[in-house]
Amino acid sequence: MKKGLSYTVVFSFLILCGPAVAVEIEKFEGDIDTGSRAEAVHLIPLLDEYGRKIFPDQHPVMPFSTRKSCGDCHDYATISKGWHFNSVDPNAKPGRVGHPWIFVDAETATQIPLSYRGWPGTYRPDELGLTAGVFIQLFGRQMPGGGAGEFETKEADEIVRRYVSGKLEVNCLACHSNHPGQDQAEYADQLNRLNFRWAATGACEFATVSGVAAKLPFGYDYLEPNMMPEAKQNAPSVVYNKNVFDDKNRVLFDIVKEVPNRRCYFCHSTKLLSDSALHSQQDVHLAAGLRCIDCHRNEIDHQITRGYESEFAQTANRLAITASCEGCHLGDETLPLPVEGRLGAPVPKHRGIPAVHFDKLTCTACHSGPWPDAKNLRVKTSIAHGLGTRDVDANDNALPHIISPVFAKDSEGKIGPHNLVWPAFWGILRDGKVSPAKYEIVRKAVITIISRKMTSEGNWAQLTGEQIKEALKSLSSAEALEGEVVYICGGEMHYLGDNGQLVSEEHNAAAPYLWPIAHDVRAAAQSLGVRRCQDCHATDAAFTFGEVAVDSPLVSDQNSVKVMTEFEDINHLYIKLFAFTFVFRPWLKAVALIASAILGAVLLLYALKALGRVTKFMVEKDSRKD
Amino acid sequence: MFRQISIISFVIVLGAVFLHGFIFPVSGERKWRPVDILKRIVHLVTLCFIEQKLTLIGALRKLIYLLALFSFLVLAVTGFYGQLVRGEEISGYLLMVHVTFGGILAFCLTVLAVMWSENCRFDKNYFPRLHKILNSHCEAEKPQERYELIRKFCYWLIVVLALPLILSVILSMFKFFGTDWQQVLAEVHRYIALALVLIVIIHTYLLVRFKIKQDG
Repeated sequence: MKKGLSYTVVFSFLILCGPAVAVEIEKFEGDIDTGSRAEAVHLIPLLDEYGRKIFPDQHPVMPFSTRKSCGDCHDYATISKGWHFNSVDPNAKPGRVGHPWIFVDAETATQIPLSYRGWPGTYRPDELGLTAGVFIQLFGRQMPGGGAGEFETKEADEIVRRYVSGKLEVNCLACHSNHPGQDQAEYADQLNRLNFRWAATGACEFATVSGVAAKLPFGYDYLEPNMMPEAKQNAPSVVYNKNVFDDKNRVLFDIVKEVPNRRCYFCHSTKLLSDSALHSQQDVHLAAGLRCIDCHRNEIDHQITRGYESEFAQTANRLAITASCEGCHLGDETLPLPVEGRLGAPVPKHRGIPAVHFDKLTCTACHSGPWPDAKNLRVKTSIAHGLGTRDVDANDNALPHIISPVFAKDSEGKIGPHNLVWPAFWGILRDGKVSPAKYEIVRKAVITIISRKMTSEGNWAQLTGEQIKEALKSLSSAEALEGEVVYICGGEMHYLGDNGQLVSEEHNAAAPYLWPIAHDVRAAAQSLGVRRCQDCHATDAAFTFGEVAVDSPLVSDQNSVKVMTEFEDINHLYIKLFAFTFVFRPWLKAVALIASAILGAVLLLYALKALGRVTKFMVEKDSRKD
Repeated sequence: MFRQISIISFVIVLGAVFLHGFIFPVSGERKWRPVDILKRIVHLVTLCFIEQKLTLIGALRKLIYLLALFSFLVLAVTGFYGQLVRGEEISGYLLMVHVTFGGILAFCLTVLAVMWSENCRFDKNYFPRLHKILNSHCEAEKPQERYELIRKFCYWLIVVLALPLILSVILSMFKFFGTDWQQVLAEVHRYIALALVLIVIIHTYLLVRFKIKQDG
């Protein structure tokens, strides 16, 4: 009620004041909504990072800057604070926990969720010793630039390196290019070479970038490449396709305002590692002709809606009101306008589903992700595994190991499907809190011990307690570390006891990191519970009794499982008994229906008898009168 | 809302029953010595016994009545505990117990309806005033117990209300009704259950009075 009231007040305020605010924000020519639904033609000059016009024949030829080229007509400063770019902004609202970046290194038995957003269970990259530049080199492959790529660093080495590599500006083309030649795999490759300044240019369809900034010495000046002839062979250089320049040296970009699905897919694909073809299908919304941006909408601020139920309450993003499942399919009676049914969304009846389900479950619990199996599936995602990039490890066992779908209680107290990753890392225990040890130190100390137990590249080494002990000893003696050296894996914290023995115990830091999933949405006819209650309430239903594998490099952990109820925060005995009652549910229905029929018959019988009496009485009375 | 209505209803009905029992004692005189109270309690307990004079059908009927009463008590406690004490919907173990005894009560009520209805018919002797208005001939064939009419009326109300009470919850288990109607059915179940509990309290009170009086 309170939530509904706040929605109404804010929605009404936005409707009344929206135009006034919009005029204030939309000061750039390209950001003014003229009302035309036609696409704007982007025939524009290319500008370098200093705002100078680029000519294909000049020397050295500069990569174009999106900040300058696109920023001429669009509010780059506002856009660069959007959801895809603001993770490093301490003032940005983190919102619901999401897919983390997962740093993996099989040779150090490491698999650790990272995020600048401070989501519980993730660690900041710098805790691991990863600078913003290294972070971009590792994970920029599936980012549209900006964020950490434009992060102002204070580390001297990083500053010098940034001068050579350049800043990684927001790459507008990563999402808005409609050209089939826009190559995000090339973009990832450029970032791997630390060619930050050149990455957007290298990925576009009309330019080729060669060279490796990572191999250039400190002090290299990209504006004066001839000053260091020895660096010439690695110096990044651009060759533009001259045919794309018109007589005024302008280039026609194939740009669309409404981002095509295939652009989203580059960073947001999920591969199910399942033998069953039945598990794989397209999201029902996309199959019906909708686009990602129909739900994940944004205005010029690029605050793209994530689509979860409480998003509006958390972020005050007005588009979030209609971006969630409820927004389109159920609406909100407290809003001044009906919003349900947007884009033809069917309003579900949920026949036969008791209303309590909507208090305890998210919509996605029944409608999203793969149909749960007795044993969970594993998935590979673009963000975690670099799907779509070159030289990607196509092995299904490649780290990180993401388990899905795990039905768990979310931050709003509702059960929904999640992806899960078990953290595994070397850390320091101080005051009961575990923080990750610096990656470089760990690598030096443990790589020789762990790499000899590797069985296949990219997967866990097969470690025993002895190797963990050995590695812990090595790490303890390698550097003067403040605090106790520990190893986190398989849901436990391992450390050396007073007598040098390996001690294992549960710790918050070892808890799995889970993040909610919403895709792919299955058709209504394939939602959980559509066949019978026992889809979820059977005594062996995967929804409640499915096994979640404990993923760990420790051989002794590798057959361990957790039961789904542990994540759902429900009593195992209770839910087992509850499921058992469904065995007798048909009997209950039969008894109740027969009872109702007999009660109805008895009532009818005596009602008819009473009616008979009345009729008889009326006839007798009439006869007496006669 | 339901919570307030329930509490007020229970206070009124239970208050009225106690007040009535106090003002119009069964035996005609008020005895409040401990030994008298103990005697009454023992008498109440003995009412639950199966008398030897009962026929097989009579004994069966009484057993089923007692089982129905027990089921009703369990259902009332499990159903209203959450609403009245904790202010929340029934769930967890209480729900499981509630549903289990719901089936038992439905069975018992049906058997009782078949066995008792004939005894609880309203014949013309109950409506002398009505006959007078209609200028009809009326003969009192047998002396009536003071509260018999109210008791029979309560009985028929129980049978009438039992039907939507059962159907409101059973139909919601089938794929007939969507969320809105599910909520309507839940409300219907709730309010009918409240009405039924209140009527059962009155009916049981009158029946106990009758039995005590019958036993002399």
